[in-house]
Amino acid sequence: MTREPLPDAGPPTRAADLRLAGEWLARHDLAGARPTPLLAGRLAVRRQARLAAHVILAVLIIASALASVAFLGPQPRRPLQLPALTVVVAGLLLAQLLLDRWVRRVDQRAGATLSRRAAHLIQPGWRAVLGLPYAVFTVATFAGAMALTGSALAVPDPAVRRPAVVLLIGLLGATAIFALQLRHLLRHPVVAEDEESLTADVIMRVEDARVLATPNVQWSLPMVLLFGTAPGWWSAASVAYLILGLVAFIALQTRTPSSATVARQAMSNR
Amino acid sequence: MIVIDAASPVPPFEQLRAQLARQIQDRTLAVGARLPTIRHLAADLNLAVNTVGRAYRELEEAGLIETRGRAGSFVSAAGEEARERVRRAAADYAAVVAGVGLDAAEAIRIVQAALTSRGTAPTSS
Repeated sequence: MTREPLPDAGPPTRAADLRLAGEWLARHDLAGARPTPLLAGRLAVRRQARLAAHVILAVLIIASALASVAFLGPQPRRPLQLPALTVVVAGLLLAQLLLDRWVRRVDQRAGATLSRRAAHLIQPGWRAVLGLPYAVFTVATFAGAMALTGSALAVPDPAVRRPAVVLLIGLLGATAIFALQLRHLLRHPVVAEDEESLTADVIMRVEDARVLATPNVQWSLPMVLLFGTAPGWWSAASVAYLILGLVAFIALQTRTPSSATVARQAMSNR
Repeated sequence: MIVIDAASPVPPFEQLRAQLARQIQDRTLAVGARLPTIRHLAADLNLAVNTVGRAYRELEEAGLIETRGRAGSFVSAAGEEARERVRRAAADYAAVVAGVGLDAAEAIRIVQAALTSRGTAPTSS
């Protein structure tokens, strides 16, 4: 990573990507390393993929809300809302798969230009990449959202049960998308030519895993679909879930070591 | 860490085999450590699956790693055995050298040449 000079001229987008890569390196205590086109390209594709992943989750929330409204509309027995939502969720899963494949292909192309390739002999697993505290938080967030869904399903009122079914489909879809992205993070081939770029690769994975662990759908979907419709105890439980989750998330962000520190620890164990 | 240099005259499978063997011998890779799957390492290093497979096969024949079916490949506890085999072979070689009356410096040069041809010679003489 240190051998290639920073090009003085080039297409504006590439220069911008290189500048952003330089900022990224500085942010991760790698200020001594020079941003290479390889790193700039990999970071650029990840930025775009992360944005697209947010759009996928937003579409999931909107589709669930629309399905819920239609399900509760004047003709609640219309049979197509839930299958349509299921198809949308399946489509979003497919979109996520294609997104991951696109990132992999860009990395492969970048890797093919390298004359030297470096790799770990002991692969960093989920404990190194996601970390136990984030893993526990993620499991607890999904479990909390599922418990809220289950308790809403137990309410006999159809006005609560129907959006709860929609919520269940949405959460299962979000869980599947999370699992796909985590699998991709852990199994995606390394693209590195030396120790520095190998460290940068692990930092990217740790960063991506932490973004992935941010509970967007788990927090928003129960509120969007059921808050106000469900009984008071359910609304109180969902607010408590949200506040507790937020406090835990802030504690995680402030107490856990930075992604660069985690990556260096992972590298020293290899 | 493993580094494969495409510009090196040493074939990639030999670079991989030699680096793995060195890390097993010097305990960088502990006994029982699980190695990446052939397919995964090939993808990481941009090598053909057969290339990594050949390196693993040679390490297995040398007793440095063992494959436990679908569980994968692991650093073998037989590393010491392999070292002992080398010691025995060296003793045999020393006996042959003494038998034909070759001087020690030339005997060492012959060993170095043999190791160099396999890409496993030490960098300093």
